[in-house]
Amino acid sequence: MKVIKAIYNFFVGDMIILIGVAIAVILLALINTINALSPLRGTVEAIIFIAAVIISLTTTLIREVMG
Amino acid sequence: MELAWPVFVAAFLASAVEFVEAFTIVLVVGITINWRSSVLGALLAAATLAVIVATLGVALVTYVPIVILRLVVGIILILFGLKWLKKAVLRYSKHKALHDEEAIYEEKVAELKARGESIQRVDTFGTVLSYKAVLLEGLEVAFIVITFGSSAVTNTCSSACGIGSATIGAILAGILVILLGALVRAPLTKVPENTLKFVVGLMLTTFGTFWAGEGFGITWPFSDAFLFVLLAIYLLTSFILIMALSQHKQRQLAAPASDSMVKPQEVRR
Repeated sequence: MKVIKAIYNFFVGDMIILIGVAIAVILLALINTINALSPLRGTVEAIIFIAAVIISLTTTLIREVMG
Repeated sequence: MELAWPVFVAAFLASAVEFVEAFTIVLVVGITINWRSSVLGALLAAATLAVIVATLGVALVTYVPIVILRLVVGIILILFGLKWLKKAVLRYSKHKALHDEEAIYEEKVAELKARGESIQRVDTFGTVLSYKAVLLEGLEVAFIVITFGSSAVTNTCSSACGIGSATIGAILAGILVILLGALVRAPLTKVPENTLKFVVGLMLTTFGTFWAGEGFGITWPFSDAFLFVLLAIYLLTSFILIMALSQHKQRQLAAPASDSMVKPQEVRR
């Protein structure tokens, strides 16, 4: 458990950032594998990815400030 | 060998931050215990790091397809970058104290002096402390060198060129930090660490988004030049967040004062 926590702290140390990036990765993986979502590939996919990164940062900062 | 400048600059800045932190501890051990223990610990850690970079770096570049590498490295860089960016934004908006190397230095010196040790032979505690600091911070440097270097492969830059550029950046940062430290004989308190962390956080997030996107098959408009667009987007977002959080902090500070002004009126009613 200590090792897992050390690795987690080394790479990210913030659950909101981790979950936010994980959701973005899952979304992009779905867009790339499901044919029905193929119209989203390309520009929309890129916008979703950048937005997810920004939302993750904003959310973790809001949580930090609000206590 | 051709130098990949974006990778070189990113590795240089990111490594400089880590070297400053490691050097502070090495300096403290050298001054308070003895230089023999401090330098021995640092050298042992450097040797350990060299083995890690040589084995991991080669294995990664040789056996893992570049698309997978870019995806994984990109995601890890985003995680690293957002962590640093979050701390830097909190510090700029006064929600978190500035990371003060001078305070850390004084604290460590006091802690070591309290142990009452001033000996010339190799001291295990001093060596381990120095080793631990250099290894931990150096691991981050090694990670940055391997990930940046191996993901920077383009038509004009091979994996050797990428890792070479990142390594040169990291080595130069290390030499610069050591020279500066030796000159000022203090833990580089003059280096604006938060600014450096902010810039590095932005760069890591930018490169991470770019490479992870490429890993998912996104073709960025304007090719590599889109890195500047990404950087601008994250820079603008960070400034907006810093302004918003600073205003929030000011309102927090003003609230108790306005409360104390209102209360007497309420009492009179």
